[in-house]
Amino acid sequence: MIDFSPEVAATIINTVSYIAAGAAMIAGMGPGIGMGFAAGKATSAVRRQPEARGPILTTMLLGQVISASTGIYSLVIAIFLIYGI
Amino acid sequence: MNPGPQIQFYLFGKEYLPVTDTLLVGWLSVIIIIAAAKYLTSDLSIRPKGKQNVAEWIVEMIYKQIEPMLPGEGWRFLPFIATIFIYIGVGNLIGVIPGLANPTGDLNTTLGLALVVFLVVQYEGMREYGVWGYIKGFAEPVIFLLPINIIGELAKPISHSFRLFGNIVGGGIIITLIYQAAPALIPVPLHAWFGVFVGAIQALIFGMVAIAYISVAKS
Repeated sequence: MIDFSPEVAATIINTVSYIAAGAAMIAGMGPGIGMGFAAGKATSAVRRQPEARGPILTTMLLGQVISASTGIYSLVIAIFLIYGI
Repeated sequence: MNPGPQIQFYLFGKEYLPVTDTLLVGWLSVIIIIAAAKYLTSDLSIRPKGKQNVAEWIVEMIYKQIEPMLPGEGWRFLPFIATIFIYIGVGNLIGVIPGLANPTGDLNTTLGLALVVFLVVQYEGMREYGVWGYIKGFAEPVIFLLPINIIGELAKPISHSFRLFGNIVGGGIIITLIYQAAPALIPVPLHAWFGVFVGAIQALIFGMVAIAYISVAKS
């Protein structure tokens, strides 16, 4: 076990927090793919039944927002890591 | 730069009752909502004209979102859902004005609203099935799922509040970074996107997810 002085330890913690915040945002990939998939399905649904555009849009938005939750969690974790709240 | 609530001043001397900008802008948006409601609903008539059309349009738009998911109970849940929707909508859109912070960009506000929704969901579930019947519903289909169901229920207000908070704060941080890089003209379309569009969508989504939680608890 190496004993660091407090300044060095604070610097290491800061550096690792920034790296970890960047790594946390890798989770942004998943919601992007999922939301694009839902939008594509909704597009083909509107193409098949143009008169049902309103309900399809509402359902698509609800599903997209639920699937965007994981991305938002990673964003919140990244914000907490950077600002140390 | 700190995205959290900034303490503006203290009531009752120093260190007692800190007043944050969230609180000030939150009360400002409440005053705006009350004034707009008073103005829009003064001199109502059978034949709507002018400003009464705007008020009826808002009420009917929210009613049309509730009615398909909670059949026959649209008018019962309208005051609750409309309160949430209008408050969050005004709170998201007020950040477009320079110098004002979004009251919804603070975890205290969003978690408070999500806890209110959580309590209403529990009350509606108990009203539908009785207290014991609702609690027994957590142990279905088998008793081993009881802890998972309880954790899933407790995760609802957390995900509900973090979604709104993360969207608003993330947009605010991106706009602040762009302001540091390019202060003139370039941030304007970003305000249109993060302030107006995302704000309106998130207010709609917060209300609709609340309706979805209530309808899941009742079915």
